[in-house]
Order: sequence, then C-alpha cells, then structure tokens
Amino acid sequence: MNDLVIRVTINGEPKRWTVAPGDLLLDVLRRESYWGVKKGCETGECGACAVLLDGEAINSCLMFAAQADGRKLTTIEGIAARDQLDPIQEAFLDHGAVQCGYCTPAMVLCTKALLAHSPHPSEAEVREMLAGVFCRCTGYKKPVEAVLAASQAHAATPARPGAARTRAARRKGAKR
Amino acid sequence: MFDQLRAFHRPTSVATALRLFAAERRAGGRGRFIAGGTDLVVQGDRSLRYIVDLTRLPLRYVKRRGGGWAIGATSTMADLERAPALRRLADGMVAEAAGTAGSPQIRNMATIGGNLANASPACDLGPPLLALDASVVIAGKGARRTVPLDRFFRGVHRTALNGGLLVEIVVPALPKAAGGRAAWSFQKLGRLQSDIAVVNAAAGVVLDKHGRCNWARIALGAVAPVPLRARRAEALLVGRAFDAAAIAAAAECAAQEARPVSDVRASAEYRREMSRVLVSRALTECLERTRRTR
Repeated sequence: MNDLVIRVTINGEPKRWTVAPGDLLLDVLRRESYWGVKKGCETGECGACAVLLDGEAINSCLMFAAQADGRKLTTIEGIAARDQLDPIQEAFLDHGAVQCGYCTPAMVLCTKALLAHSPHPSEAEVREMLAGVFCRCTGYKKPVEAVLAASQAHAATPARPGAARTRAARRKGAKR
Repeated sequence: MFDQLRAFHRPTSVATALRLFAAERRAGGRGRFIAGGTDLVVQGDRSLRYIVDLTRLPLRYVKRRGGGWAIGATSTMADLERAPALRRLADGMVAEAAGTAGSPQIRNMATIGGNLANASPACDLGPPLLALDASVVIAGKGARRTVPLDRFFRGVHRTALNGGLLVEIVVPALPKAAGGRAAWSFQKLGRLQSDIAVVNAAAGVVLDKHGRCNWARIALGAVAPVPLRARRAEALLVGRAFDAAAIAAAAECAAQEARPVSDVRASAEYRREMSRVLVSRALTECLERTRRTR
C-alpha cells in the first residue's frame, strides 16, 4: 500500500520498478533477474553484491532501493558489449582468476571503477581495491595479476573519446 | 529486514527533511535519517517505521570558508579522500583518515555526517576532527546550532543532536605557526587498514623557530565511550622542546587518560598500551614532518 515507483537506468536500459519502502537494492535487483548480483553477508563486509552506481562501486545490500531512484546502475550483465567480453573479463579468464565465481562479478565491477579513476594502478592500489571483495576459494594472487594485466591492456589502447562513443552507441543499438 | 517500514522520504531541502521527520514523528513510531546507510542498515532496527533520506540534499561539498573549511554532511569518505582542499589541510590527515574508513565500496557510500552522528567510539574521523578543533552545525527547530565536536559526542552512539539534523562540519583556521612550523598526523591500528580501529589517534603541534612546542592537540579513538582529547598530554608538551623525551612523556600520559574496555577486538590493557604507541607514532611523525620542511 505504501509502495514506491522508482526509475533507474540499468545497463543502459531505463526501467520502472515498484518497490516497498523497506526493500534493499540487492533484493530488488535479484527479484528483477540480475542474478549476477550475489547475496553474501548482507552486512556490507563481503562485497559480493557490489554494483556500479553512477560509475562508483557500492554494496547493494546496504542501500535502499528507493535511494537508487533516478540513478544509473551497472551490473555484471551490462559489462560485456553484446558477445564481446570486456577486457577486464578477458583478463580474468586469461589469468585463471575465476574459481567458484561467486565473487567474480563484484571483482570485475570494482576493477572497472578502479581503472576509470586510476588507469595505471600500482599493485598496492589493486590489492586495496580487491580487499573490498572477499574471495574464499583461494586468495588474491590471480585476480591481482588479472587486474594489472587489464590495466596494461587499458594502457595499450589509449582512450579515444570518439571510439568510446561509437562503442557505446553500438551497444545501445543492439539493445533496441 | 525492513518490511515494517511504512514510508521512505527523499526530500531535496533541509527544511523539508526536518518537516517530514517531524510530521512522521507526530504520526507515531520510530524513524531515522539515512545517508550512506552503512551503519543504519547493518544495525537492522526492526522498530523503524519511517526513514528520511538525505542523499538528495545539497550537502555534498568541501569548501574553504573564511580562513577555515566547511564540509557538507553528506560528503562521502571517497569525496573527502579526493578533495584537493582536504589533501592539503593538516598534512592530509582528514583525507587519510577517510581513506581508511572501510572498503572502497563502503567509502563510496558512508558519509562524514553519518560517521559522526552514529557516534561509534571507533569512528575514524573523530580523532582528526577533534585535533582540528572542528565543530558541527545542527539544523532543527529554529536557528542552527554550532556545537564543538568535543561536546557533540555524549556516549556510545549518543550525541548532542537531540532530534536535529547534522548538516555541516566546520574546521576553523589552523593555529598560526608564526616563523615556526605546524605538523599533523593520523594513526590507526586495525587488522587491516580498512578495518574498524582497535585504536586510532591524531595529533597536531605548532613549534616555534627554536623547536619549542607552542600548541598541541592529541586525540584518541576506540579507547573510551567517545573519541577523546588527551588534554593532560597536550599540556605536557606546551612550552617545552618538542623532542623524543617530550614525546615519550606525552604518549605515556595519553595512555593514562584513555578509558578502554575489553571486547572481541582487543583487551583494555592492549588498547591502553597501543594508545601509548599510536600517540608516540603520531607525535614522532609530526616531528619528522617539521624537520622535513625546515
């Protein structure tokens, strides 16, 4: 009876969702079939529920869905351009950085945010970033290597605003 | 977890936020203001009936004002880390403390207002802001109140807010170093840097051109019900040469001023000893910084 209607842009698509005042963003995303957003500790510790909010990594378990109204969200489902994996995803595969996979979506998204701010991070910066996502399979060696490799791939293809626009436009076209 | 919530408001002005909160309170039940949610959601209070969200208020800023600094209450830890004005303020001590307040995702959500209003004894911004003689501005019925931070904290999760809304943090102009040099330091002990503090500390000193201490601030966190100024230790430093002997005496004194408890993270004895160690490290770093720039 007290439901709210929120509008978000998720992975480039506008959506209109009806949510209860007490709904957390994590639960709404999973209800809307964004299953790449994982439910872990639900107390902001493990980071498995990380998504990008206007490009910044946040833990969706600590945010009310109502607070996402009018914002831009990115989940792992929106990282690849059609059937073309993001260079970060390629790097995670190439370096064997995926084991059970539960923390992988969050790691890829947090890497995306890191590289946007800091295209050439030091290993210490990468470790600091990955500390926000718990991996309970092994450790962080392979993910650290993958992120560093992804940042070098990033460096090898200098950002050309024109190229980025074209890619974004192509992705938009594919969705329609 | 919050299925008992009947309302979630998203006002765009402080006046509307206060009005909505007052109206909900009259309708009955408990409510809270929310910004980043990193404490509120984890606390999972099932008695909450309404929430008033602050993230649309125009309170996300860091700016110079007069000789000092004004920080909007909903500025995130990540905002503080990156703000050029704060990276230069007090040897970057506030930006550094914000950079240790949880994982990157938490720092993109958690706000300075929430960090102070939640009033955890271990809050990372408490000691550096106490060392800077900061105040908080509280909006409520009638005029805004300005409360010095050392009178804002009243106990574990207890503050002087009294139903008001914390809207701004004010850092006054730094003490004049007149021919000498001022230096600052933030220290934190946790399992990892981004974990909750077992003990945290901040210090600031102003030395004259002969190396004598004119002014000192020492603040400690997680060693008492509230973040604490170690006033006796500060007094010990003032008027004498700022050297290793003075630092050792002040650190010992600060440890005696701590009133730590034992909990799952550390024993009271360990916290007291670490208070001494962190104050010593903070003051030693201050000494090194004054030498480096001479």
